Amino acid sequence: MSRGFNQLLDAVVRIDVREIAFEAGTRRYTASIGSGVILSDDGIVLTNAHVASPRAVDLNITLSNLERVGARLVGWDHWTDLAVLRIDMAEVQRRGFKLQPAAFGESRELYPGQVVYAVGTPHGLTRTVTRGIVSNNNRYFEDTRGVGGYETGAFNTWLQTDAAINPGNSGGPLVTEDGEVIGISSRGYMGANNLGFAIPSATAKDVMERLVRDGTIVRSYVGIVPGALQDLENFYSLAANTGLLIQSVDSGSPAARAGLRSGDIVLTIEGAKVDGRFPEQLPPIQNLIASQPVGASLRFSVKRGGETRDFSVVTEKLESRVGEEWALEKWGLSVRKVSRTYARENQLDDTTGVLVIGVQSGFPADVAGLTRGDIITKLNQQPITSLEVIKDAHRAYEAKPAPTLLETQRNRRVSLYILKP
Amino acid sequence: MIIGIRTNTPRRCAPPLLLEGISRSVVRRCAFLKSPLARGVPEGRGVLVLALLLLAARLCAADLPTLWAERAKCVVAVEYITVTEVARQPTSAMGTVIDANGTIILPTGAIDPRTATWQLKEFKVYLPGEADSTPGVYLGQDAYTGWHFVRADEKIRAKLAPVTKFVAKGKSRAPALAEFVWGLGLRNKDEDFGPYLLQSNVGLIQSLPQRTGVAQQEVAAPGLPVFDRDGVFMGLALAGFGQSYLQVSRSSGRPSAVVLYNVEESAAFLLADEVLPYLGRIPKNVSGRPLAWLGAYGLEPMDREVAKFLNLKTRAGAVVSEVLEGSPAEQAGLKARDIILALDGKPLPELKPDRVVVSYIERETQRRMPGDAFAMTVLRGTERLELKATLGEEPKLPREAERKYFDRLGLTVRELVYADAIERRVKANERTGIIVHYVKPSSPVAIAGLRFDDWIREIDGVEAKTFADAVAKLAEIEKDDKRPEFVMLASRGSESAVLRVKLK
Repeated sequence: MSRGFNQLLDAVVRIDVREIAFEAGTRRYTASIGSGVILSDDGIVLTNAHVASPRAVDLNITLSNLERVGARLVGWDHWTDLAVLRIDMAEVQRRGFKLQPAAFGESRELYPGQVVYAVGTPHGLTRTVTRGIVSNNNRYFEDTRGVGGYETGAFNTWLQTDAAINPGNSGGPLVTEDGEVIGISSRGYMGANNLGFAIPSATAKDVMERLVRDGTIVRSYVGIVPGALQDLENFYSLAANTGLLIQSVDSGSPAARAGLRSGDIVLTIEGAKVDGRFPEQLPPIQNLIASQPVGASLRFSVKRGGETRDFSVVTEKLESRVGEEWALEKWGLSVRKVSRTYARENQLDDTTGVLVIGVQSGFPADVAGLTRGDIITKLNQQPITSLEVIKDAHRAYEAKPAPTLLETQRNRRVSLYILKP
Repeated sequence: MIIGIRTNTPRRCAPPLLLEGISRSVVRRCAFLKSPLARGVPEGRGVLVLALLLLAARLCAADLPTLWAERAKCVVAVEYITVTEVARQPTSAMGTVIDANGTIILPTGAIDPRTATWQLKEFKVYLPGEADSTPGVYLGQDAYTGWHFVRADEKIRAKLAPVTKFVAKGKSRAPALAEFVWGLGLRNKDEDFGPYLLQSNVGLIQSLPQRTGVAQQEVAAPGLPVFDRDGVFMGLALAGFGQSYLQVSRSSGRPSAVVLYNVEESAAFLLADEVLPYLGRIPKNVSGRPLAWLGAYGLEPMDREVAKFLNLKTRAGAVVSEVLEGSPAEQAGLKARDIILALDGKPLPELKPDRVVVSYIERETQRRMPGDAFAMTVLRGTERLELKATLGEEPKLPREAERKYFDRLGLTVRELVYADAIERRVKANERTGIIVHYVKPSSPVAIAGLRFDDWIREIDGVEAKTFADAVAKLAEIEKDDKRPEFVMLASRGSESAVLRVKLK
């Protein structure tokens, strides 16, 4: 192999993660293994968001010399399934190790059939190299629960490869024969042979730089769900290669408030022509909206029936449907804050309340009759406007247990429960 | 007057009018006499005992085979056809004859509530054990009892005996715990609905909220009567209650819990007092209207712990989840999250399980008529309020909605009715579009991805404002055999999609 490839091997690391989980009405810890790649000599490691998330409490990195060092999470972005870690450099220096960073290649120049290699830790088998080709360099794939229950894939396309990618490969690099990182291996089709997906380096490089700089990625949101026009252009009598079909508009979203509707065709956004004929053309358009400043007013030129109209849509900050989670252990109750997206999807009036994501058998919440999927809206007749409200009540209960009245909602049905000491 | 009809009974030894009372006491005596005899009694007294026993046997004459033969005449099997877009589905149910006009009641579950009445055709009445049928007429469903009413043809009325012939004189009696009860089951059609005997003892009596007896084993087919030892009507069998079992695989694995329902026979029955007063509720028309409507949506029972926490004197209540737009409840000032504590000044009864309080309120509504008053005492926060509603007429139900089938496109659409709007959280003024009632498998719309219960908003880019508009548009598309495709905007849950329907 090339010299570059051998150097790359030194940059690939194994990541051991210990994560906290709140699901069962209590705090539980789980352990998992993933892969990563060192991309700077000051200890930046790129991996997947589904390997290292804010739920991680312990991150250990095994370097190519088989030595282990600690690391911390710099930031994550579940939309592109990427996370950035920083190796504990003080420890690296103290123990006299030298990091060997890899370099990005240009994913835009890849062609189908080009030979690529995946390097990582499949099933814990450290430093495994598999070989394949680029099967498709512009694959559309979106999953609303793809990264530990979080959304992914709306803003990027993927590299598809037939290089074997197994559980544990996640976060490891997909590289050329010269050892240039052109993707981050991320997922495979369960039950299929050699259908692996990687985040292209063009996306990875951009996301990594922004996470290192800001610790987070802020995107704008308007609330349209685009659909591919495919060969509907004739029906809508559109010029060739123009237009984005609005498949659906999130209820209560800026787009809905501005008056956009399902079946509308967006011709331009802020004067820029959009072409959403095929699914893989949708992420760049979504990205165009997402990259606008939050609170900006965007002009959508829209064709509805025979007429063309302009709509002004003021963007909001994009939020995940998954809210912050916590375990109220004395009650045996795990909860997740109701997010704006969750509230809209479930036609709730607002974001008041926490969603029950787990109850522990025999504990007060279980005895009272609460179950997963209930939304606790009030506690002792006070609305739960934030996670803090219920955490405070739980703390007070810990200090002095007393019967507590909960109001819940489930499928639009309101029930009352008492948590008894 | 009830017993006077029993001309051909072999119980001729007892004066007819007193028969019920006498025969019961005789039965008790029979039982008393039996035991010393079995133990062996002294000779002299033995003769006396024997003589008494013979007398008792004559008085008792209520031997099961005789009672059975008479009472088998008050049950029938009813078969009907449900006509759908592509099929004719026969269904059979069992019913009880309730009067001399050949009126038959069928249990609630005998007819699918989603079926429109015009889809129900060719009602036939079979006498138990007879292969031939006579036509019947469907009279409709009563909202309060849930019973479906069917009338048998005059030709066979003489062969029927109404169940009222077998009721106790005066106030009906609830069976005692452990009392012997029996009833009939009917075999399937291929066995000419042959009658067979079921018997058991009463194990439990509960208010659900109706007084319900539960026997130790199955005692009658759902919808058929239950009798005591003397053949007195004790109640009407309900749909079977589920029973929990553990299912264990022979090969491996842990046992899994399953609930089994016996659909042919039931151990539960409504007591006679919950049946007899309502036999006169024969629907005036096939739609079952008028139907009383309150419009308090999603009633949820309040448990005792909550009542205690709220310092309530009475322990039963129901939380109102939503108050429907334009409903009598809204006009009366009922609000979401109010807790209903009393109706007409009477506290809600404390019933077990808690859930039953909801059926209690629903039944109290259905018992009344549109225009009747409905007074509620509710708790709002810490305040107690007296609200007075005037019940309205239930808005058009999905099963009453207009429908239209398009064979070439492969769908039935129906009018969007109030319940659809509630389900989809649509305000009254936004109520447009039509609902997909049926999708023919592999038809053009099925291939395009349309599904049952989807909400069609636009057809070919034109808003489906009313049912008539939409049907006209679909009819035009269906007729045009040159057209290669059309487009529909459909919503499902919180999502919408533009569907392309290829016609060629």
